[in-house]
Amino acid sequence: MADTSNIIEIRELTKNYGDRRAIDHLSFNVKKGEVVGFLGPNGAGKTTTMKIVTGFIAPTTGEVKIAGYDVFEDPYEVKRRIGYLPETPPVYGDMIVADYLDFVARLKGVESSRVPGLVARALEKTQLTDVRKRLIQNLSKGYRQRVGLAQAIVSDPEILILDEPTVGLDPRQVAEIRRLLQELRGSHTIVLSTHILSEVQATCDRAIIINGGRIVAEDTLTGLTNRLRGNSQIHIRVRRNASDLAQALERVSGVTEVEMSGMQIRVQGHLSDDLIEKISEAAVQQRAGLLEMTQPDAGLENIFIELTSQH
Amino acid sequence: MRSILLIAKKDFKQVVTSPLFFVICAFCTIVWTIMYRVFLQQFASQSMMSMMQGSQAGQSLMNTVFMQHISVVNLVLIFTLPALMMRLISEEKKLHTYDLLLTSPVSSTDIAVGKFLAGFGIATVLLFVSFLYPAFTRILADFNWSTLFVLYFGIWLLTALYSAVGLFASSFTESALLSLFIGVVFNLLIWFAGQSGAGSDIQWVASVSNYISVGQHLVHFLKGMIKISSLVFFVSSTAFFVFLSQRVVESSRWR
Repeated sequence: MADTSNIIEIRELTKNYGDRRAIDHLSFNVKKGEVVGFLGPNGAGKTTTMKIVTGFIAPTTGEVKIAGYDVFEDPYEVKRRIGYLPETPPVYGDMIVADYLDFVARLKGVESSRVPGLVARALEKTQLTDVRKRLIQNLSKGYRQRVGLAQAIVSDPEILILDEPTVGLDPRQVAEIRRLLQELRGSHTIVLSTHILSEVQATCDRAIIINGGRIVAEDTLTGLTNRLRGNSQIHIRVRRNASDLAQALERVSGVTEVEMSGMQIRVQGHLSDDLIEKISEAAVQQRAGLLEMTQPDAGLENIFIELTSQH
Repeated sequence: MRSILLIAKKDFKQVVTSPLFFVICAFCTIVWTIMYRVFLQQFASQSMMSMMQGSQAGQSLMNTVFMQHISVVNLVLIFTLPALMMRLISEEKKLHTYDLLLTSPVSSTDIAVGKFLAGFGIATVLLFVSFLYPAFTRILADFNWSTLFVLYFGIWLLTALYSAVGLFASSFTESALLSLFIGVVFNLLIWFAGQSGAGSDIQWVASVSNYISVGQHLVHFLKGMIKISSLVFFVSSTAFFVFLSQRVVESSRWR
């Protein structure tokens, strides 16, 4: 068996739909207990990858191993270990919530004696206990999404694969789902697909960014943020002496470019905490009257746009 | 086995508690009640006639009333069973619950067989309703129970075939309406398949037609005979359509 610390191992995964290549030699690993964000614009191949990992469809070439089991040689062992929430929650409108979860737990091969306990736990974690006797078709979209999430966790799987779990929810419901993910962290390995960056920032340890079926970046969040920060900008707004300050800043080591327009200065360089300190010191020495100092591109948003617009 | 029963139980419960099932049951009972009354009246007046003509040999209930009833039941089932089966797979595809089934540790065979059993169970409920008509005729007239049971056993096997066909039609498409249409067409084909070549001069065409003719097999059951060839025909053709459905379910993993 391969290294057990990698609970998901994906090697050279390729999937063609006719002539169209949805994913192209994708390889990555997920460690046990990790929360990984699977990011990409719509149509990047996120859903296809998740469908292959869950054994829903077969890849054209490549290999997927879950906890050491090959998805296509031991599909049952793999499927028992995965809780999957597809884009559209797979719920039966004409069943009541509790019966539905009972059905899913048994379908996932949970022993009969454990079913009632696990159903109660899933209801409680997703805060569905109040609506457990209601027909699913009469529930609101947010509740239905929660039922979908409850179905993913009801068999207490090692791995949770969630395909855009917060799409179409109102901000309060999004916050609730995030709180739930925080709760599940640690007891499950979570792979979360999304095109919403704040979601990854809020919940994930690591992000895998894909575009056009290929991985364009794979790093921890700080790693990704630093990557762009390494060569980025700082905006300064001062009250007076802007030209003196600009000249002083040009002499600071680490600064590669200074641009001044009126009372605003744009400094480009390899930004580090040291450099930022030096810049603020220079502003004080020149008595420029520092009003504002901002780092506009610290967000994941820019990395995302930069990485995914190269294709 | 556990998964088969689990899926069968869920689907059976879902269909039997659906408004569609109640509407179809109501429709069937209305048609059967009206027709059965007509058949009984015809039988009564014919018996009266033959008595008045002084003939000793009366007509048998089995060959007149029950046979006519069975053909009406068959005709109604050809159209209504696909309507009940249409949801089995196509609805799952439409609602995306198919994703749940295919990502659960169950095989395509479990899914196909489970759904077939659910469909067959539903068909059996409907057939049981139709059985009540001849059964209660016992209050008015005396007849041989065993012949009636054999006849119903035959038509029960036929509904298994219809259920399998309905399941197969449902596995094709996301559209319930389309699967209803395909199901009805297939049922009609099955019913008429044997009729077309039956009168052929070529020996083997005639005998093949005879073997695949559902009507010919039912005639044996009507006479109170259970022939091995008929059993083999119904069981194998039902299994064939369940197998085809299983292939369609399996194929979605490879697309």
